[in-house]
Amino acid sequence: MNRRRFRAALLLATALALGAASCGIQPASAGRGPGTIMIDTANYPSTLDPGKQYDTDTYSVYRNIFDQLLRRNPKTNAVVPWLATKWRQTDPRTWHFTMRPGVTFSDGSPLTAEDAAYSISRILDKKFGSQQYANFSVIDKATAAGGDLVVHTSVPSPTLLSYLTTLSVVPKAYVQRVGDKQFAVKPIGSGPFVLQSATAGSEVVLTANPKWWGPPTQIRTAVFRAVPNVASRVADLQSRKVDLATTLTPDAADQIRRDPTLAILSTPTERVAYLAYNTIKGGATNDPRVRKAIAEAIDYDALIKNLQRGYAKPINSMATPLAFGYDKSLPDNHHDPENAKRLLQEAHAVGAKLVMATSPSFDPQVVQAIQGDLAAVGLQVEIQNSDQATYLKKVQDPSHEWGSIRFGKWSCSCLDSDGVIYPLFHTGEIWSSYSNPDFDKIVEQARETIDPAQRTKLYSQAFELLNRDLPGIGLFQAYAVYGANSRLQWTPDASESLFLDQMKVS
Amino acid sequence: MTAIAVPARRRRTRSLPATPRYVAGRLGQAVLALFGVTTIVFFALRLSGDPARLLVPEGATAADIERVREQLGLSDSLWHQYLSFLGNAVRGDLGYSYVQNRPATALIAERLPYTANLAVAALILSVVFGVVIGVITALKRGRWQERVLMPIVLVGQAMPAFWTGLLLVLVFSVALRWLPSTGYDGPLSLLLPAVTLASLSAAAIARVTRGAVLEQLSQDYVRTARAKGASTTRLVLRHLARNSAIPVLTVAALELANLLGGAVVTEVIFAWPGIGQLTIQSVSARDFPVVQAIVLFASAVYIVINLLTDLLYGVIDRRVATGGNGGAA
Repeated sequence: MNRRRFRAALLLATALALGAASCGIQPASAGRGPGTIMIDTANYPSTLDPGKQYDTDTYSVYRNIFDQLLRRNPKTNAVVPWLATKWRQTDPRTWHFTMRPGVTFSDGSPLTAEDAAYSISRILDKKFGSQQYANFSVIDKATAAGGDLVVHTSVPSPTLLSYLTTLSVVPKAYVQRVGDKQFAVKPIGSGPFVLQSATAGSEVVLTANPKWWGPPTQIRTAVFRAVPNVASRVADLQSRKVDLATTLTPDAADQIRRDPTLAILSTPTERVAYLAYNTIKGGATNDPRVRKAIAEAIDYDALIKNLQRGYAKPINSMATPLAFGYDKSLPDNHHDPENAKRLLQEAHAVGAKLVMATSPSFDPQVVQAIQGDLAAVGLQVEIQNSDQATYLKKVQDPSHEWGSIRFGKWSCSCLDSDGVIYPLFHTGEIWSSYSNPDFDKIVEQARETIDPAQRTKLYSQAFELLNRDLPGIGLFQAYAVYGANSRLQWTPDASESLFLDQMKVS
Repeated sequence: MTAIAVPARRRRTRSLPATPRYVAGRLGQAVLALFGVTTIVFFALRLSGDPARLLVPEGATAADIERVREQLGLSDSLWHQYLSFLGNAVRGDLGYSYVQNRPATALIAERLPYTANLAVAALILSVVFGVVIGVITALKRGRWQERVLMPIVLVGQAMPAFWTGLLLVLVFSVALRWLPSTGYDGPLSLLLPAVTLASLSAAAIARVTRGAVLEQLSQDYVRTARAKGASTTRLVLRHLARNSAIPVLTVAALELANLLGGAVVTEVIFAWPGIGQLTIQSVSARDFPVVQAIVLFASAVYIVINLLTDLLYGVIDRRVATGGNGGAA
């Protein structure tokens, strides 16, 4: 074959390959104009129906289409009015919320307390099968009365307002008319943005809602793109394809920091990286001295500085300073390998074998670093890595036969100690391999106590017990790490929200 | 490699009307294979994890999980679930995605055009490059052309897709800014993922082509053709191409079947919203209905492509279709 033919063949191949692209698929988004922002997230939203799913990447998109009943102040994290302008309790279990007047959905229909009540009832409805049910299960019923939203809880609930910041209000009449399935595809909300298009698995395009009740947003169009691979998200930032990329690893952040036209935006979140012990069937870890030895064997500074590249903060318990009930008087974690060795000798546990259960969802470098730290004081750690579904099945099984220690990251999206230590350590909860009736009594009481001062006192007692028994150790407070280019002005918040009305692009 | 070329020979004594019967037989086998594959996948999936645990919020209780299981129909007995799956599947209903709450078939249908475009583009690139390189390295055996091209082919095959893909992105998107790094923004977006995939398939095709051409070159008719003064181009196009086509077609068909099943790694790197990405998301979320539907689809594609390949042999080489003697098959 001569050279000309060879070249012709190459050209033909390329042309055919590109030609094939034109059949059947449409380019989802055009170029970027002023007021347009392109955002890379790790996952495509699982649904656009805010009653169903609650995961971060799904939230990020639909919470711009809908208004929430309440929001948090992004700087102070305090619960602030949003669709509900004020609220009061008429008895310990009944709350009245006054709705903002003059709010309409993007189809022009008015938003009322009826819609807010329906949005809650829908999540509580067993047939609807909301995966957010656990966040609202304390609510008995929600009704509309005299223009107010009235919420009745089964027990007095100090965390109700926290969870109501995650409630997006849907249009009752529209949802009932089109049905749940159609609503998830063509959602209508009252939020600052409306859905323009969605390309399954690829991207969602939102445009500013001209009928929104709030101040006009500077962003006119937002494109959320699903890019699962973190290196690809970094490449998108570097090639100027996107303005913002979420969920970056510390390594990726290092790469971005080297590019003078890009910036890292980061903030401490309520997410705690922790080590939980099996205190029931953990073998060596049934002994509190071994648990203490492990806590002292870990080099916390190295975890934070070397592995997290500084995108983490030291903590003193399972709660971050952002959580209600955090007790700053507790001593910080400290690294004392010599004392760890002494404790292990005392417990006759030198050379003991520990199984560490983990899944690829959890940073393997941290897991390996812990394995190394424990080897240095004389504990042999066997890492058992299984995929997330299998891992959950194993560690949540009531038999407690999952090993001795496990690493995890926890966020209740509620900024409250109840959402952390109750599910992790209360007897019989699926995550708990610890049992202490005194601790159970304190946290049960705390979750039904409205008075903040009294609650704070109860959590101090609870944390004191946890520090004594050590069913788990908080390793560090994790940061949310985003990469952005210089077009974007935005300050991320502790709840990892992505509200477009708080962003500006030049 | 599957037994593709054999049946035609077995039916040596039969004449053409055997073909419909042959196709019917193969279709019967296909249905059986699909049934077997889906049964295995159905039970294997349910042994490995519980989708309800992945769907609930972190602080959920055992009762919350049970509530989700019940709603998804997972608290019924395994046999009950299996029988209702089979019953629905026969009626063409493969169930609803647990995560997205939409029909599994609709999810696949949405993703298919992306995967099909990528697969076809990659296949064209790999066949053209693979065949050209294969023919050149065979004709120029022991010469510098072979010594230059063979290592390239081997490197292409040895480099994993995640590495090739990222290298291409770094060069063509980040450094040169010629091509988009991820997603689908028009035909140019197809180039990098297609080249990534083709670098794997082209190597396989090049090696098979080389082997087939070398085998043909040792045949008497080639010597005769050369003795009659046929040029190399004429020799390749008139004689070698047809006679070496069957093994090349076999490999190309298998590659296409693989590509249509979803190129998982490449689709993830390039954020290409095809079947491959859907597969990985569904498996990690234990979205049973979607995983089952994908497996069913991928198996069907495999079976249909193999069947079509068998039939194509007959077009290329009449001796296969008529069950005549000998032949390259």
